[in-house]
Formats: sequence, C-alpha cells, structure tokens
Amino acid sequence: MGATRLDALEIEHRARTRGLPPDAAAAIARVLGAARLEEARRNEVFEELVTHFEDGLAAGRSAEELALDFGRADFTPPSPTPVPLPHRGYRPMSRLLPDVRYATRRLIASPGFTLIAVLSLALGIGATTAVFSLVNAVIFRRSPIRAVEEVTDVYESSADFGYNAFDYPDFREFERGTSRVFSQLAATRYAFAQVMRDGVASRAEGELVTGSYFPLTGIRPALGRLLGPEDDVSPGGHPVVVLSDGYWRRAFGGAPSVLGRAIEMNGRAYTIVGVVSAEYQGNLRGMVPDFYAPMMMVNHLNPVDDDQLQSRGYHSLFVKARLRPGTTVVMAAAAAAGVAAELRKIVPDQWKSGNSFKLIPTRQVILHPSVDQVLYPVAGLLFTVVGLVLLVVCANLASFLLARAVDRRKEIAVRLALGATRGSLVAQLLAETLLLGVLGGVGGLGVAALVARILTTADLPLPIPITLELGLDARALLFATVVSVAAGILFGLMPALRASNPHLATTLRDESAGGGGRGRLALRHALVVAQVAVSLVLLVGAGLFLRSLQSVRAVDPGFGREPAGLMDVSFPPTRYAAGRLLPAERELAARLRELPGVTAVGMIDNLPLTLVNTQNTDVNTPGAQPPVGREGFDADLAVVDTGFFAAAGIRLLQGREFTPADADSAPRVIIVNEALAKRLWPGQEALGKHITRSSDRDYQVVGVVATTKIRSIGEDPRSGIYLPLAQVRSSSVWYLARTSGDADRLTNAMVRATQSMDPEIISVDVRTMARHLDVVRLPIRLAALMIGALAALAVVLAGIGLYGTVRYSVAQRTREVGIRMALGADSRAMVRLLTGGGLRLVVWGGAVGLLAAMLLARLVGGLLFGVPALDPLTFFGVPLFLFAVAGIAAWLPARRVSRVAPTEALRADG
Amino acid sequence: MRIERELMRGAGPVTVLRLLKQREMYGYELVEALSRRTDGVLAMGQSTLYPLLYSLEAKGLLKSHWQEAPSGRRRKYYGVTPKGVHFLRAQQSQWRRLVAAMTGLGLLDARRSEA
Repeated sequence: MGATRLDALEIEHRARTRGLPPDAAAAIARVLGAARLEEARRNEVFEELVTHFEDGLAAGRSAEELALDFGRADFTPPSPTPVPLPHRGYRPMSRLLPDVRYATRRLIASPGFTLIAVLSLALGIGATTAVFSLVNAVIFRRSPIRAVEEVTDVYESSADFGYNAFDYPDFREFERGTSRVFSQLAATRYAFAQVMRDGVASRAEGELVTGSYFPLTGIRPALGRLLGPEDDVSPGGHPVVVLSDGYWRRAFGGAPSVLGRAIEMNGRAYTIVGVVSAEYQGNLRGMVPDFYAPMMMVNHLNPVDDDQLQSRGYHSLFVKARLRPGTTVVMAAAAAAGVAAELRKIVPDQWKSGNSFKLIPTRQVILHPSVDQVLYPVAGLLFTVVGLVLLVVCANLASFLLARAVDRRKEIAVRLALGATRGSLVAQLLAETLLLGVLGGVGGLGVAALVARILTTADLPLPIPITLELGLDARALLFATVVSVAAGILFGLMPALRASNPHLATTLRDESAGGGGRGRLALRHALVVAQVAVSLVLLVGAGLFLRSLQSVRAVDPGFGREPAGLMDVSFPPTRYAAGRLLPAERELAARLRELPGVTAVGMIDNLPLTLVNTQNTDVNTPGAQPPVGREGFDADLAVVDTGFFAAAGIRLLQGREFTPADADSAPRVIIVNEALAKRLWPGQEALGKHITRSSDRDYQVVGVVATTKIRSIGEDPRSGIYLPLAQVRSSSVWYLARTSGDADRLTNAMVRATQSMDPEIISVDVRTMARHLDVVRLPIRLAALMIGALAALAVVLAGIGLYGTVRYSVAQRTREVGIRMALGADSRAMVRLLTGGGLRLVVWGGAVGLLAAMLLARLVGGLLFGVPALDPLTFFGVPLFLFAVAGIAAWLPARRVSRVAPTEALRADG
Repeated sequence: MRIERELMRGAGPVTVLRLLKQREMYGYELVEALSRRTDGVLAMGQSTLYPLLYSLEAKGLLKSHWQEAPSGRRRKYYGVTPKGVHFLRAQQSQWRRLVAAMTGLGLLDARRSEA
C-alpha cells in the first residue's frame, strides 16, 4: 500500500471526499495531522472519526456543533493497541500466545459456529479413534512370541474342516515325523476348571500346554517359573499351575506369596509355581486365560469318557512349530506331507485320502484362519465406514471455515489495510483453526473413551467369554485430528486466504459489490456434493444391515420359541462313574422340573446353534449310495433324553420320542430329522428303517422330527440324528428348562438347584434361550448398530453442511432476491428458487453416492443375511429419506430470505 | 456543568468502563450516552474520549471490533474485557471509600445527595 504520510490537507481532502462537511473534515484533519501516528494506525483512527461525524450528522446535529464538541486541544492517542493482527513481518514464537488468546476470544464470540465445529470434529475423531483402537486390539496386536517370523501354525485339513485342531496322538505323530525341520513343536488347548476357594466355587478359564509351549514362545514369568518339559511327562502326574497376571491380581491380590501355595481345581490340589508376564494374553486373542496347566493333566481338567492322550478324535490342540535355522516353509510342508501319508496308512478311518496338514505363518493368523476370512472384510468394512465419516467431518470443517473466512472478508480487508501482513493474517487464522482442532481432539478423546467403554463393558451374548484389552490408540487420535484439521486448512482456509485481496481499494470495491467469489462457492458446493454422496453410501450400508437384521429375526430356528433357561452341566467322572451318571443326570432333571414356573425339562449333549461345538458323523442305510468321494451321509449328531423334544418345542412329525424303555440294554434306536429322512428315503416311510454309523452299530429309526437350525441361522436344512442318552453316556449335558415365567430368574434357580444337589457338579454355562439365540444374530446386530450410528452421524453432519451452504448462498443473493421480489416475484417462488439450488447439489451428491453404494454393496454382500446386495427397498428408500432430510436443511435457510422486505434486501450490500 | 480536567482524569476511565460494561457501543453512541446518563456532568470532549478509549484498549481493559450496521455503515464497537471488569470493580471500591471518607469529613452532604 502507499507508504506516504498524509498531511493535514490530504486528510481533510479525504474526509471531504467521504462526504463530510468542511467543519467536520477540518476537525479531523486538525487532530490527525498533529498526532504522531503510524500510517496504519492513522488510517484506522481516520475511519473511526469519519464514522463518528457521520453518526452525529445522521442524529441531526450540525457540523459546526459537532466540530465544537470535538475540541481541539490534547488529541494524543497512545501507541497502537495490542491486537495481534497488525504486526508486520517476522513473528517469533513468543507472538503465538496473543494469537491463541485472540483466537479464543473469536471462538467465544461465535458460540454457535464453535459448538457445531467442535462437536462434529469430536464425534468424527472419536468414532475413528474408537474403531481404529478396536481393530487394532484384535488384528494388529504385536505377537508376544519371540522371533515370531520363524514360527508357524499347523492345522489338520479335511473335507469337512479346512483348518481343524489336532488330537493328541496326531500331535505326537507329527512331532516324531518333523523333528528334522522344526526345532520346537508345541500345543495348547482350552480348558476350564471349577476352582474351590474358602468353600466358594468359581469357574476359571485356562489353557493346557505341552512342556515345549513356553520355551517355544519365549514368554517370561513375572513371578516364579513357567511350565517346562519336566511338567509334561506322565499322564495325570503334574498337578502344577501357572497363573495369568490378571487372575493373580484378581483372585490373589497380586501377592508374591502365592508361589508354592495350592489351589483346588476340579477337586484336586494344584501347586502354583509361577505367574506369567502380563504381556502374554493367551493363545487366542480376546480369550485371556486365568491359568496354564500341563497338557498331561487334560483328563483331569477336561474330563470326557475317554483318555484324550490316547484316543483319536478329540481335536482341540492348537499347534505351533518353530522352523530350524535354514529350513524353509516349503521344506517343512514336505515333511508334514510325509507325516500325513504315514497317518493315512496307520489310521485310515480318521485319515481319509484328502486329509493333510496346513502350515500358516503365525504372524498371518489373527484368531483362526477360518474366522480370519470373515474378520478381514469386517475390519475393512469398519475402516471404510469410519473413513467415510471422517471424510464428512473434514468436508464439514472445510465448509465451515470457508464460509467463515468469506464472512470475514471485510475484517481481513480492513486488517490488511491497517498494515497486517499476509503472514500474520495466516498465523492468526491458523491459530483459530488449530484451536478448533485441539478442542475437537480433546472432545474426540472423550467420545472415543465412551465408545470404548461401551464396547468393552457391553453385555454381549457371546458364545465364549471375551476380554478385550482396548487401550485407546494415541496414534489414531492424533491421526484423525491432524487429518481433519489439515483438510480444514487445505480446503477451507487456504482458498479463502488466497482469494483475499491485499489491495484495500479493490477489496472494498469487491466487497460492496456483494460478490461471493465463484471459486470459493464452487468449492463449497463440491464439499456438499461429497458429503451427500458419503452420507448416502453410509445410509445404504446401514439400511442393508438393518434389513439383514430383519431377515435374521424372521428366521425360525426350529426350537426355543418359548422362554427357557439353559444350563451346561459337567458331572465330574471321578464321582459319577458309569453306573451313577445317568441316575444323577435324571435326578437333576427332576429337581429342575420342580422349580416354580417350569413346564418341561430336557437334556441334550450338543445344543444347536452354540457355534463352538458341533459333532458330526457319517451314517449309511441299506440301499442308499453316499455322495461321491464319501463313505457315508454326513449328519450332525446329538444325544438327548426323553424330555428334550417337548422342552425345546421341536415338533415330532412321525413315530415316537425316546421313552424310558430305550434303556442301555434295549435295542439301539435313533430319531432322524426331516432333512435326513428325505435324503435317505425320498418318498418312503422312514419309520422302521435301519441306519448304520461308523461301520459298527445298527440303529432302528423310531421317529422323525422337524429340522432345526444346527450350526448357523442362515444354513440350508442340515441332516441330523438324535440318540437316546440312556444308550450313549455323556458326562456333560445341557439342561433346557421351559418356563411359563421369567427365564432370567429361572437360570439363577437352576444353578442353585444344581449346587444344592452336589457342589462338585459344575455349571459350565448358564443363559436364557433368548440370549442363546441372540448369539447367532449378534454379528448382524452389531454391524447394523455400528454402521447405523455412524450413518446417522454422517447424515446429521451433511445436513448441517448443506444448511450452512444454502444459508450462505442465500445471504449472498439477498440483493438478487430483493430485486426479483420488487419486480413482483412471489415469496414462495423465491423459496423454491433458493431451496432448489441446494437440492441440485443433493441430486448430484445422491447420484455419485448411489453409484458408489452399488459398488461397495457388492463387497459387503457376503456379510449380509437374506438381503440381496442391491436390495431394491434400501436403494429406493434411502435416497428418498436423504432427499427429505436435505430438503429440510435447504428449505430452512431459504425460507428466511423470502420474509425479508424487498427494500431491506435491496439495501443489503452483501 | 463540566468537571475539572484533573478530576475527569480519574473519573473518565471508570465512567467509560461502566457504560461499556452494560453493552458494547461505538464512539458516537458513547458520547451520547455519557452526556445523557450523567446529565452532561461527565460529558467529555471527543478529543478526550477517543484517546481515552485507545489508551484503555492498549491496557487491555477494552476490546474493539469493526461491525457493519444493517444500513451498511461500518462502526468500531468497544466492549469491556474480563480484565476491564476486574479493574472496574477495583476502582468502584476505591471510589466508594473516597465518597465515604469525604462524606465523613462533611464535604458531601449525605441527605442532599440522596434527594
């Protein structure tokens, strides 16, 4: 700007050109000419004094009077005020504080803007951080295993199970056959124990490990020692236990004196020899064990009716192997194939021709290879959704800042005119944006903590107890905050600043013309289009999962329609040997039947839809040819008592249920489900037919029952057989007690009844039927809930963004509206015009979003249930809904301008 | 009647802060308010007022910003900062003590001032 000083005459001339009478202009010239002022400062004072006289004249006073009042003597203004903007040039860091202080004042001055900006930032940052932390806790956790790149997981693979666990004999065979390629081989399996302490029974989850397990992993003890090969020598001969850090703190208050003490597990004293370091959270993520015990104790800690160290078929061992130095995975796989060939020779019944071993580097396994296949898409979906929400937040902030910067054009122009450098201006606006970012980040931390708390404490109906160590990820928080603020600066602040003209005159002219700056407007429009598009994608996602949830709810599992209590009970084999087991099981059933409200009680060894436990078997019948490549028809197997079908509400279609007459000594009988009956004897009578199982026993069909869902709610009808409990012993059964009353209350009574019969009978698991069935709906419900919440958030943000944009463009066009209305346009037409402008953006955004949603819907198709990826209802309803919301967001501000009187609108200069 | 300059030097800042604490005002508005609210007693020449405003602003007791009226005229509005409020409170109690002391000396007639 011109750097020459104006002397008194020039000042007077300038005042005159502003329309002031001679007396007033002279008064201003007098005081300003005499005062020693910096140019910028003098310009500001000049402006103020001109306004002063204009005000006075407008109030009806004469120029002479005003000049007289003004006085002439001691006009000695002090040095410039400490408002931080009008500083020139280089600004050291020490100037930051005034900038921040000023920014704070500015933000407080417009609480509405500040609140919305901070709130949307906080929600977006919080949601992003929480989801990232969750995915991080599950997927990206660093393995605590030493030199994990040398370690590989080993699974057995068959036609039925792609990644099955080992049984103990297979593990030994594998160990012998691969010692050349693996330096260490170890196995771990899940187990739980009933712990008695001071007469109180509790359940503890644990892992049984082979002696090589801790040496292979390189995990260290926090106290005492861990288990080694010397603890894993003779079956049943090593009653020692290592506690997890969490259990040690919870149950023993973290006292070092636990070493050497005994803990009673399943009725036997185990000596505590150590505590594992807190960094080790067990073999399966999310399932933190309470204790670790030697594999040799498996028959005591996980009693079944066989010796699991000798018998085949108990596939529960997860195997890890460490490659010898210089050995490749290919070499190891070759050695494993050799063992498989050997096993096919030794045990052809278990090792069919297609069976093999699969090696997967441990680093690549998250939970279990078959679960991971679902986990990755779910994590990807979550990241996508959260990324989109963050995108909306960025767009919103950018849009806010852009609008605000444009609104402040005049202020910026004045500051530039008063000598502020562009640098100082940028620093000032930057301070304000960064302050918003910090506030949003802090708010986001709160939101994330809240979400994490909800996630970790939510009483989800999970099939197994899951503990997530969900620490909030500082990197995620920082990332989300930086991204949103950077986007705000890049898309909001910079365009506004670049467009701000440093030349006073042109800026003032530009300003009085009321022009908005086409570039900035276009950018804002683009931001709205993006927001609408993203919101539509998220809404479609939420819609698809809600529809899936609807379908899941509509599926009839085929049992459990009536309220019931469920209890998984384990009878310790030491106390309930062969002859005593069945009478005890029946006695407990009788006791449960006497509980108030109970109308029927049944037992089953393998409850349908537990997701973690399934038994299947090959069945044959004379005259029916098994599928190609198989030795029998695959059928799911359950053992039930006489009361089960009635209690579970499974319809008997033909024949009879089991009766007390089907005793151990009686002929073998079987009940088949409708699906199997149709497969084995299509168009024939099933009753009286014979079934053989595993080439040994022969069973006669005495009944046909309706097909239930067995493994998953979405499955096609699966073949199933039922055997009578009296003919097949099982020391672990589910009791199902149907009630006419409150199932929740009943479950407590069931546990009490069990304990009063014998405190050593273990209630492994207790739940209501409703909760049990919720398990299978959980993934869909969670997805619908999370995506729904995030979509709602996105829609609200997009609505705010659209509202702001329309309101801004309405303000820009006030003059145009005035002219149109003065020329006779009716106000409704004006509202239509202005709303229409906003809705055009929505249509564009909707079109883009719809295309994107169609592409993305195909990707999540596998996670949906009973709904096509391009569900017409969703794809029609969601855009309609969004359009309605957008319509309101655009109409609200448009309505305002039509109420402005034309004269007023015409006077407005921008 | 106008107050002497020496007295105004003490009373001026308090008066201005008091008025601006009630609401933000621009220069001319403040001139009018000073004159009206004090029956002209505390009216001051604008050549005193503006420098006073600038000085209070420099001390951080006042803040100012430009604002546009619906008519399109831009004015510089002044308001009191938290620091200014604090300062005003301290000054008020001093004035109160001063008035009490002067009343005690019989310089001020309590009854007449109440009337």
